[in-house]
Amino acid sequence: MRILVERDRCEGHGLCTEQAPEVFELDDDGVVVLRFEGREVPDEVAGAAARGVDVCPVAALRVDR
Amino acid sequence: MTASVSAPTYGADIYTDQALLEPYEHYRALRELGPAVWLEQHEAFAVSRYADVRAVLLDSDTFRSANGIALNEPANRAILGCTLASDGELHAHLRKVVAHRLMPRSLRPMRELVTQRADELVAGLVERGSFDAVADLARALPLSVVPDFIGWPQEGREHLLEWAGANFDSFGPMNARAERAMPKCGEMAAFGAELVRTGNVLPGSLGAGVLEARDRGEVTTEQCMMLMLDYLAPSLDTTISAVGSAIWLFAQHPEQWDHVRADPALVPNAVNEVVRFESPIRAFGRLAETDTEIGGVPVPAGSRVLVIYASANRDERKFARADEFDVTRTDAVQQLGFGVGEHGCAGQALARMEAESLLTALARSVVRFRLDGPPERALNNLIRAFGTVPVTVERGA
Repeated sequence: MRILVERDRCEGHGLCTEQAPEVFELDDDGVVVLRFEGREVPDEVAGAAARGVDVCPVAALRVDR
Repeated sequence: MTASVSAPTYGADIYTDQALLEPYEHYRALRELGPAVWLEQHEAFAVSRYADVRAVLLDSDTFRSANGIALNEPANRAILGCTLASDGELHAHLRKVVAHRLMPRSLRPMRELVTQRADELVAGLVERGSFDAVADLARALPLSVVPDFIGWPQEGREHLLEWAGANFDSFGPMNARAERAMPKCGEMAAFGAELVRTGNVLPGSLGAGVLEARDRGEVTTEQCMMLMLDYLAPSLDTTISAVGSAIWLFAQHPEQWDHVRADPALVPNAVNEVVRFESPIRAFGRLAETDTEIGGVPVPAGSRVLVIYASANRDERKFARADEFDVTRTDAVQQLGFGVGEHGCAGQALARMEAESLLTALARSVVRFRLDGPPERALNNLIRAFGTVPVTVERGA
């Protein structure tokens, strides 16, 4: 599973980082950064990653299976 | 094919006083009937299940906000062109003009101020012992923070709550509440236009930023007027509703307040649970752009769709024990009270900050909330809120 982000849409609410700090973080501008950018998310954090995608208030995140 | 033969129908008016007071059995009935239910009284498809509400909100190409937000045409015409009631590129453009000021990062300097005001307010009320959780608590903090933040001049502030409430009433069906609201909505629009004309907004505020964007040619003067209303109207009642409901809920469920007191890290989850359980905004509308379907129910192009957040948040298909208030539930964060997607609430970081600051301050000093009599609802077509919640607090050591 991969995570895709539309950075333009991210408003830095940070709900994804609360769900899965091992997958998402916010940069100094408060915009989401993927720790597995362009790579497969490891299976052991895939569930948390999917929850992080689900709670994005502005739907800036997507799961690409 | 007409809507009425393909979708289940519901005959009750869900905007009568009684229905606004006790909406949840109507919502349950709608969820039982199907993914999209034709509301005969309101000539709209009700979308009431969590999965369908989420799907409709995320499909903003099909389910449009322009001419769709309110259940009546005059209100839709009046708000056409504001961020709430625009779509696609125009919406993205307008939202960018102000949303950056509402991002958690931009709000960092606000946190100290909001926390300090919340602490002072709570200290004074706890000292008094008995107070109205709506007037003295829920309204007091937003009114001491938000008008300055948005840049509203001192003159005119006395109308803010009245105008914002009218604005929300106008989004319902054209019932007596909406009819009464229309002149006040006009007053608010005129005031917004006057602010843009005179530039009489506080320096450094969100409103000042909107005017600067106009001066840079990013938005027109007319768009400016709509943007002023966009962020003035919804910034108070919603938060006030959530805080008033929170105190009412904790008064009735002392064991839930014990959880929060024992672990103040639960406060953000508790705020989500309050918004899930007593969603401040009942519903917003959308307009189907093309022939489409909702959960398999055909919805013809041009149909009005009523997206009921307050029902999605009580959907037993999504939330276990949906009618129980439980601040420890792990999926409270998935509540849809702030909407989701392109039109997801832009002010939610500020709203969360205000509500969390108050509950955190209260958790330090209040052991119990006791109702001093029956609370009174403030009936509004869009907002579910109390007008008064008289309480006495029992102080901790």
